[in-house]
Parts: sequence; structure tokens; C-alpha cells
Amino acid sequence: MTNHTEITQLVDHLFRHESGRMIAVLTRIFGPENIDLAEDVVQDALAEAIHQWEYKGVPANPSGWLFRVAKNKALNIVNREKYKRKYSSDVIHYLKSAWTVEPAMDYLFSDQEILDDQLRMMFTCCHPAISTDSQVALTLKILCGFSIPEIAKAFLTSEETINKRLVRARQKIRETNISFEVPIMDEIGKRLDTVLETIYLLFNEGYSASTGDDVIRYELCAEAIRLTEIILTHPAIPDKSNVYALMALMLLNASRFKSRLDGEGNILLMEKQNRSLWDYSLMEKGFYFLHQSTVGDDISIYHILAAISSHHCSAPDFNSTDWNAILSLYDKLLLMDNSPVIILNRAVVISKVYGPVKAIDELEKIRRNSAMEKYRLFYSTMAEFYMQLNELKKAAACLEKAINLSPLNAEKKLLQQKLKKCNNK
Amino acid sequence: MKEFLLILHTEGDVWTSLSPEKLQSHIQKGTAYITKLISEGKLKSAQPLDKGSRLVFESNGIIKDGPFNETNEVIAGYFHLLAKDIQEAVEIAKANPIFQDIPTKIEVHPMKIVGGIND
Repeated sequence: MTNHTEITQLVDHLFRHESGRMIAVLTRIFGPENIDLAEDVVQDALAEAIHQWEYKGVPANPSGWLFRVAKNKALNIVNREKYKRKYSSDVIHYLKSAWTVEPAMDYLFSDQEILDDQLRMMFTCCHPAISTDSQVALTLKILCGFSIPEIAKAFLTSEETINKRLVRARQKIRETNISFEVPIMDEIGKRLDTVLETIYLLFNEGYSASTGDDVIRYELCAEAIRLTEIILTHPAIPDKSNVYALMALMLLNASRFKSRLDGEGNILLMEKQNRSLWDYSLMEKGFYFLHQSTVGDDISIYHILAAISSHHCSAPDFNSTDWNAILSLYDKLLLMDNSPVIILNRAVVISKVYGPVKAIDELEKIRRNSAMEKYRLFYSTMAEFYMQLNELKKAAACLEKAINLSPLNAEKKLLQQKLKKCNNK
Repeated sequence: MKEFLLILHTEGDVWTSLSPEKLQSHIQKGTAYITKLISEGKLKSAQPLDKGSRLVFESNGIIKDGPFNETNEVIAGYFHLLAKDIQEAVEIAKANPIFQDIPTKIEVHPMKIVGGIND
């Protein structure tokens, strides 16, 4: 008998890799309105795996074993609920005939079809009729095999909230008859944008230092990259220049992931990061994709963000960062999206090029924005500029606001240390 | 794309005379044939028929029913195909590996479909 924890670990690993693929195929078979049925079958197959392998050992091809079990369970359901349940899928009738059931199943479970189904699933999960919050939760649950507690942890919210988002999303898919298809030519561009936005959000959630558990956060980034890889390898997407740019952006940032925290899990500013901890093989791939992304005529936000990131990566040390080049990229970015968050980030670059006084002027422009009034990074950035000017009273006032708004203890601690320094001088 | 109905005639007791080896290879070939049609989007459905068919007929103004008059020949099942034209449908029928193993006849019928209703 194999050790229980060993099996649990193996299944976790398999779950991440195989559950998304299995749910995608089963959704093709049952139709998107029965997505919860597909999820249940996969959950069942995994439970059965634990049960069997614990006594009989792990089979030579665990992934094949899981797919076989899922396949049989799907067939049983179709036979049992032939008349009870309605299936919108265009392949379900193949499973009802003795002549076609096996060939159809083999075809549906072939590698190429599974890949197609994952792409279809991305477009279904990121359908514009579903709210952005729900899109992200659904993508993580269905395509990346995250559990509800893991998603809740990643977003610093309750399991109940995540569950509600998932229930609403599935309901929306049923009610609006969202199809399980890769959109056709004239529609694909816009729909792909939504998919890329969701992936980027997923990556950012993992990358931004604001949220919980480090391991989960790194996996969010890895999953975002994995989903992008699926899109990149797929022939159904005609213009991939934005996809290349997003991939470059994520890889260039991910290459610096592990240098951003010190030994105690505190966040390190870029100037204090140990550049020898950067992952240069990821970085190299990032530069490769950045190069690929320049093939088309389009320049997306991802192109510019990737270019900014490449400047950070190619500087031999913090002091030789080319801030002028970065500022001109931010100017371009501002033309595409003049959101306060971009103005905030640009202000940091302004402070490097023109000094803190001009940077504070920039921040004053967005002070009255309702999102900024609640955004801790706005106040901590403002505080940083005042500290550089030695205006410690103003800095302290900003720090206090930032501390009140911060959801994370580690971050609060960092800010409180700064506040102490201001008050002691 | 047009629709075609293929009706397969075989002989009733033919399977009992095939060796297990031959049966297995028959199933493998058949599976590959149907997989190909599915992946090319040419198969709408295919269905074997079960035993116990009945025939309903009129005799002297009375509608009666009785066992389907099967001699040695049986209708084994049907294929509902999508094909460019009758020629392609015939080619698909000819490619059925069943011909390699047992005596078979396949009828190929163009279906009359009203546009817009069945689409």
C-alpha cells in the first residue's frame, strides 16, 4: 500500500494538469449549459483515483487512467440520462449509437481535440456577458483546476464570495446560451482581447505583492503563462502579435519574481533586489517573444508594458536604468489608457527623471479620483516623494492613510517602520 | 453540402462464422473509418439496427403488421452523411471496410431536405 500523502500529492499535481483538460472535453460532450456536470464527473474521477491507487498503487500512466475513468463516467451519464437531461452539444448523438460511440469518444479525447476544447473553454469562461470578477474565478476553477479555497486565498476574499461568483457565471452561461466555440473571423479579435485581459488580470493578481500566500501567487503566474501558451500554439488565432506581447510581458516580469522578497517574506523595492536571483532563462524567452510581437502593425498596451519591463531587465544595475526611455514609453501608454493607475506609475518615473516636485504635481492631478482615494499605493508613493523632499509631516500623513488601507500585515509593518523614521526626525 | 442516407445490407448469421481475430480487426477498421468521417465533419449519425423488426402493411383495406420479411439478408443499419454530391457519397460507401470482411450491399440515397428547416 502506498503512503497516503504521497498519493494526495501526485493527484494534486495531476489535478492541476489534467482537470482543466478533462472538464474541457466533457463540456464539449455535455454542452456548456452542463458545465457543472463536467466538473462533477472530473471530481468523481479524481476521488476514484485516490480510492483505487491507495490500495493498488499508482498506474503506469496515471493521466491515461484518469481520462479513461472520466470517459466511462461520461458514457454512463449519457446512457442513464438520455431523456432526462437536455444536451445542446453537437456531438452528443454520436454517443447514443453503438456504431459511432467508440470512434467518437476516441476522436473527442485525442490530443488535438483536447487542445481545441481548452481554447473553446477560454472563450466561454471569458465571454463578455460574464462579469470580469466571475471570468477570472471561472477560468481558475475550470481551466486551471484551482479549488474554491485556493481562489479565495489568491484574491483575499471569502470562499463564499468566490462560490457566488462561480454560481453566477455558470448561471449566465446557461441563461444566455453561451456557445462552446472559438469565435469566427470578424468576432475573434474583440473576443480574444477579453481573454487576454482576463489572463493578464490573473497574472497581475499573482505578481502584485498585495495578496496572500506566496506559493499560490507564483502558481497564478505560471497558470497565466500556460494558458497563453495554449493560445500561441493554436492555428485558429490569425493575429497573434498581442498574444506574443502579453507573453513577453509576463515572462519578463516572472523572471524577477523570486528576487522580490527577502528571506523573511518582506517585499523588496527594485533598487534593493539581488539581480543574481533573476531567472535569466525566462528572461531570454521574454525577449524572444517581445521580438516576435513586433511582426504585426498593432501596438497594444502589452507591447508597451513589455518594452518597459525589458528596460528594467536589460539594465545591469538599478542606477543605470534608462529612465528617459521608460518615460517616453509611459507617455505612449498614457495616450492609449489615461487611467489613474498608469498616471501613478508614470509619476514614479517622472521622479527619477525630473525629481520629486514634478512627480508630486502629477499625483495632485489624480488626488480627487475616487479609486485613488482608497488606493494605498497612491499614498505610499506620495509619501516616498515627500520623504525625498524631507517634508516629513506631509509624508507621515500619507503613510498613516496607506497603513489604514493596507490589507497585508507585512506591508503594514514596512509602512510603520517608515512612519517611525518620519516621526523621529 | 448535401445529405445522404446509406442503408447497409448484410447477411444475418455472418458474424458467427468469423474468428475472434477477424472480428477484432473488423472492429478496428470500422472504428478508424467512422473516426475519419467524424473528424472530417461528414457523418451526421450512424446507427446499427436491432433484431425484431416489424412490417406494417395494408391488405384488403386493413392495416396489418407482421415480422419483417427477412430471408438471409438483413438491414444492418444506416449512415446519415454529409457529402458534396452523390459521387462523393458513393466513394464514402465504397471505402467502408465492411466489404473486406463480409458480403455487403450499400444503398446510397440522396435525401430531400427543405432548406432552412433542417439546417
